[in-house]
Amino acid sequence: MELFIQTLIDGLLIGGLIIVVGIGFSLCFGVMHIVDFAVGEWVMLGAYTSYLMVRYFGHDPMIYLPILFLIFAGLGWLIYPLIYRAVSGKRHNPVIMGLVFTFGLSIMAKGGALSVWGYHIQSITTWLSGKSLSLGGLVTLPALRFAGFIFGIGVTLLFMIFLYKTKFGVIIRATAQDRETASLLGTDVKKIGGLVYSLYAGLTGMSGVLIGALFSIHAAMGAKYCTLAFFVVVLAGMGYVPGVIIAAFVLGLLQSLVGVYIGGRYNLVALFIVMYGVLLITPKGLLRRGI
Amino acid sequence: MEFQRETYSSNHKTSFFNLGILIFMIALLLFLPLFISPLWIRITTEVLMWAGLAQSWNIIGGYTGYLCFGHGAFFGIGAYLTGLLMVHLNWPFGFCLFISGILASFLAFFIGYPTLRLRGAYFAIATWAFGEMIRQIATILDITGGAFGMQLPAYLNLPFFYYIMLLVTGMTYLTTHLLLERARFGYRLLAIREHEEAAEMVGVDTTMTKIKAFALSAFFPGIFGGIYAYWVTYIHPDSVLKADITDFMVVMAFLGGIGSLWGPLLGAIVVQFIQRILWIVWGEGTFYLVIIGLSICAVVLFIPNGLIGLLEVRIHSPKESINFLMKKFKW
Repeated sequence: MELFIQTLIDGLLIGGLIIVVGIGFSLCFGVMHIVDFAVGEWVMLGAYTSYLMVRYFGHDPMIYLPILFLIFAGLGWLIYPLIYRAVSGKRHNPVIMGLVFTFGLSIMAKGGALSVWGYHIQSITTWLSGKSLSLGGLVTLPALRFAGFIFGIGVTLLFMIFLYKTKFGVIIRATAQDRETASLLGTDVKKIGGLVYSLYAGLTGMSGVLIGALFSIHAAMGAKYCTLAFFVVVLAGMGYVPGVIIAAFVLGLLQSLVGVYIGGRYNLVALFIVMYGVLLITPKGLLRRGI
Repeated sequence: MEFQRETYSSNHKTSFFNLGILIFMIALLLFLPLFISPLWIRITTEVLMWAGLAQSWNIIGGYTGYLCFGHGAFFGIGAYLTGLLMVHLNWPFGFCLFISGILASFLAFFIGYPTLRLRGAYFAIATWAFGEMIRQIATILDITGGAFGMQLPAYLNLPFFYYIMLLVTGMTYLTTHLLLERARFGYRLLAIREHEEAAEMVGVDTTMTKIKAFALSAFFPGIFGGIYAYWVTYIHPDSVLKADITDFMVVMAFLGGIGSLWGPLLGAIVVQFIQRILWIVWGEGTFYLVIIGLSICAVVLFIPNGLIGLLEVRIHSPKESINFLMKKFKW
């Protein structure tokens, strides 16, 4: 019983962190109708950047979070015009072109990381690593996972306030709802897309720090987080941002339960089976709110 | 529409022309092993295999317009199934190949059924996840030898593999030509790719047509996987199930030109050539991944119709050709 409760809590804590990866990704799909296959590579690059910063400048990786957000938001801002170019213009099938373009980006990022850093596995330690909080003697909260959870929830709250309470958020949601009408009403759709993409890249790169500190850092880690992000958006309903929160917790619980009771080697199989079931029964996500 | 005229050869003149070239090329390749060294037979066999794989990807990715990012999984499944049937049950090679193809098709039906009912990116996501899952399954199962892989009975007969590869690749191209360029099935797929709602409106059963196309396109990688496994005699998850196989199929089809009969062949030749050059210059490494990714991005940005689109220059006057080329580079 204690193991079961501990497993549930671990799952929820991981779920909190996964929200950060899924939420930008989902918004990006909602606004631009692009599935970014490079989502896992953003996580990988974020983790490596924080590793290199710790190695060269010292200090705790946690204080680099805002800097990483700025770096990756900048990178996203620079890459976005190319993506926009790929999905617009005289191409007859923009969705395909966008998918293949980001697929190419992800191969490039993975290949570059493998060429530069090789297959070595790195890790970063923070002042929280190895510490834990005890909750009434029944369960323990690993401090780092708890920090990841708090970070995830905090970022999500900020993100939601931004999206639902500011004028800018209204513009983004309007663009997601109907691009053409939004652009007729004077929204610069290209610019909004760029801002959303850089916001997404910044969030995902930033989550790489905590993911890297919690697990390990290697050049081929992107595929795993790509699968997780896909799973989250399918469960949430493609493009439905609030659904991501529930889906991420479901994913965290599923991963942690499978890891403890069946074996960590089967997690992708379990994820695929659940995803298949969801697509078969409610293709618009658990809440039936996707597009 | 301008696009239709450019890339889809619907008139019968081009169609007979294509069939003629196809038969002529197969006839030429039949006699090729008599004149070249074993090294070149090996290289040609590999190019043939990739040309066939890229064409099989083209059936779903190019003709139907639904991107499959897990096509390498069918190749791996074919390789493992052929290996298992040959080692444990001692079944004849040809029959094993057939069974592998059928199983790959069946799995494609299984994945396509929920995802191809939906439009958009669901299919790409689900096939990608499927590919990742199959790789993990091959690593954990005992019967596949886990991460260590499995050994097939050795059969060192280079011309045999050359001819069987030629047979299956020829079959792939012939099927594409007959079923997708000339038959009603191909027109249905074209209608789906160009405007799915309109296709549904005029009475095309879009879901079933898409599933059929996907099953057809998965059949060939299953067979190629089986041939490859028997050819290299030792397979493991990192050789027949790695992500590179899908990546190569995508880059070959895109570089050559998707939705065209000759695009994947041209793409396979160019990519194999570049890969060999890179191998000579840098040796073993992972840098080729950067080149693959870069070329996919460059093709999407500059020549969305692929290299085959550039070759359609009509030589009336130099100025016209230059204008035509400038139009092709869509920047």
